[in-house]
Amino acid sequence: MSSTMLRPAPPGAAPPPRATRAITPTRLLPWALLAPSLAVLVVITGYPLVRMLWLSVHEYERAQLLGVPAQFVGLDNYVATLTDERFWAVTARSFAFMLVCVVATITAGTLVALLLMKLGRAMRLVLSVALLLAWAMPPLAAMLVWGWIFDTQYGVVNHLLTAVTGESWMGHSWLISPLSFFAVAALVIVWGAIPFVAFTLYAGFTQVPGEVLEAAQLDGANARQRFFDVQVPYVRTIYVVLIVLSMIWDLKVFTQIFVLQGIGGVKSETSTLGVYIYEMGMAQGHYGAASAIAVIFTVLMLAISAYYVRVTVKEEPL
Amino acid sequence: MKILRFGAVGLAAALVLTACSAGDDAADGSNDASGGTDGAQIRVWLVGTDTPDEAREYLTTTFEEENPGSTLTIEEQSWTGLVDKLTTALSSSDSPDVVEVGNTQAATFTSAGYFAPLDDIAEDLGGDDLLPGFVKAGTWEDTFYAAPYYAGSRIVFYSDQILGGAALPTTLEEYVEAAKSVRTADHSGVWFPGQDWYNALPFVWENGGFIAEPGDDGAWEAGFSSPGGIKGLKQVQDLMVNASNAPKDGDEAELQVPFCAGQTTFLSAPNWIRWSIQAPADAEAPGCADTFGADLHAFPLPGATAGETAKVFAGGSNVAVATKSANVDLAKKALTILLSDDYQTILAENSMIPAKKSLVSALPDDEFTLASAAAAANAELTPATPKWGDVEAQKVIQDALVQIAQGGDVETIATELDAQIESILNG
Repeated sequence: MSSTMLRPAPPGAAPPPRATRAITPTRLLPWALLAPSLAVLVVITGYPLVRMLWLSVHEYERAQLLGVPAQFVGLDNYVATLTDERFWAVTARSFAFMLVCVVATITAGTLVALLLMKLGRAMRLVLSVALLLAWAMPPLAAMLVWGWIFDTQYGVVNHLLTAVTGESWMGHSWLISPLSFFAVAALVIVWGAIPFVAFTLYAGFTQVPGEVLEAAQLDGANARQRFFDVQVPYVRTIYVVLIVLSMIWDLKVFTQIFVLQGIGGVKSETSTLGVYIYEMGMAQGHYGAASAIAVIFTVLMLAISAYYVRVTVKEEPL
Repeated sequence: MKILRFGAVGLAAALVLTACSAGDDAADGSNDASGGTDGAQIRVWLVGTDTPDEAREYLTTTFEEENPGSTLTIEEQSWTGLVDKLTTALSSSDSPDVVEVGNTQAATFTSAGYFAPLDDIAEDLGGDDLLPGFVKAGTWEDTFYAAPYYAGSRIVFYSDQILGGAALPTTLEEYVEAAKSVRTADHSGVWFPGQDWYNALPFVWENGGFIAEPGDDGAWEAGFSSPGGIKGLKQVQDLMVNASNAPKDGDEAELQVPFCAGQTTFLSAPNWIRWSIQAPADAEAPGCADTFGADLHAFPLPGATAGETAKVFAGGSNVAVATKSANVDLAKKALTILLSDDYQTILAENSMIPAKKSLVSALPDDEFTLASAAAAANAELTPATPKWGDVEAQKVIQDALVQIAQGGDVETIATELDAQIESILNG
């Protein structure tokens, strides 16, 4: 009897159908599509990030890597880092270097983009291929080649300078003074960064309507005015994104500086943040201290990225 | 950002473990040491090209004969960045089984538990016959972790064609003067790259200076700014500035190149560089067997007083078994072969000072080896503390020498250097 009594109950219980509607395929689909990349992000970025935060509040040295329990030290690593003169010197150096690189990259990238606009078809193809090759070159391989170019004893640069100036440049070390060390590093980094900036800006410039430029010209605007008052405003958002990306890339530069330090120069006067973290962590085994620096570095980078994300989100509302 | 690597290692480890548990019968290294040694693979990390091919072959063949079914692979590593690489590799689940490490780097690992204790096989390895300085370098808190592998010392090479009939210097001061007198715009008296700290140490030691010593209160005191240290570093500066055209920020890699180009009269380098100099001109790493290598000679660096050799840096390596090796027992067998009389004799015949004192007689009777043995008799080590590895990793001595090579004020540089060393060793 009781079973017959219960029979009408299911249709009467209205909520279940609504609950099933909440997980209809259309609602699940975006998450299903996001899942693979989210999973990769959690494994590749999420876990290391959590691990880094954990490491930064522990005393973690080489022995701990083998399973000796780490001791919780609270904010000691942060205090030690923020009161260390070397950290501030390295940070100031990194920001100064980043500024120079970004300005040089954007300026040179713009000039190359404008050149691409002016060139005929054949030469544009040649230049594009050359840019692509520079871009495709792995940083490590590029650094070794640049290292040979600036070699003290057998370098092409010294050889050419000797031939051109008539004075002996052989034996001149380009890396020994920090200023010329960073000049070489900046040259290589800007060289590697120009292709991306140039291609992106070129793509942007081609979208500026021809009639607007023509109208400006008829109104008597010269080339400089047309560039700054017409073309640049059209691609302003592209510039913002490129500048922010360059800032991030140039601030976290590692390979170029690390390899150059192996070729010559004075390590203590040429380390940037990325290299400093490596020295502290991998080379000396102070993983806790290195993580604290990395966390501070990450916060700095996030602050810069936040602006980039805001600009992007404004451009294409989700 | 390198911290990200831990994640990658973890992921790789997870993948390896899954692969093994999926029932791969051929899986070898992941079995317990006790779980049978059939089909195990032992990976040996040798550093640099110093170990001759003959020795490598002997190691592989002997090991595989003595342990049927198991294989031994030698993987060659580079000296550059070795400490970083060993730290990562030895703490991972894919650790090599037997590793070579520079004698001054050993303490970094022995003190942190990266090597398996060798006390149970110490006698099989050679016991009291092993080079005492290297045993000390491989011992931490009375436990023996890293056995000596081979030793060597720097000697001064020259070619008769270049030196002519000039008399060899008998004191360190004469050496400096002789080198300065033959230097021209494109010829060095002695090739002395700015970062070559191994060659700077004898000058500090011979003048009564020291690297660092424990003070009365137990804290380390560095001695580059002691009167002897300053005097020695001034000699170094004199040589670097007035006798050498080597890059002021260069390091001591590939020293045979300037020598074979005839760019220097004297070259102070490890004794086994002889083979690099006397390699054929068309070899993969070209030497100059037919030109400057044809009448190559060498002498131990002279000391402060005539008739004595200078105190030089005791170069060489230790070998150890990784704690995380999947086959500690087999790895120890491989280590025993590395220290066997036969193997060490091969090293000795190739002019490397063997790890066992009793095998010294196997050294060839040529002037290079004799010079090297004379120098080694007076060899000194770096301070015995695990933090010494940090001093090397931060390159503080190299940085200071590069400044000295540029003509900087020696007293200021030495004082700063000592402060840095003390802060690392006592930190």
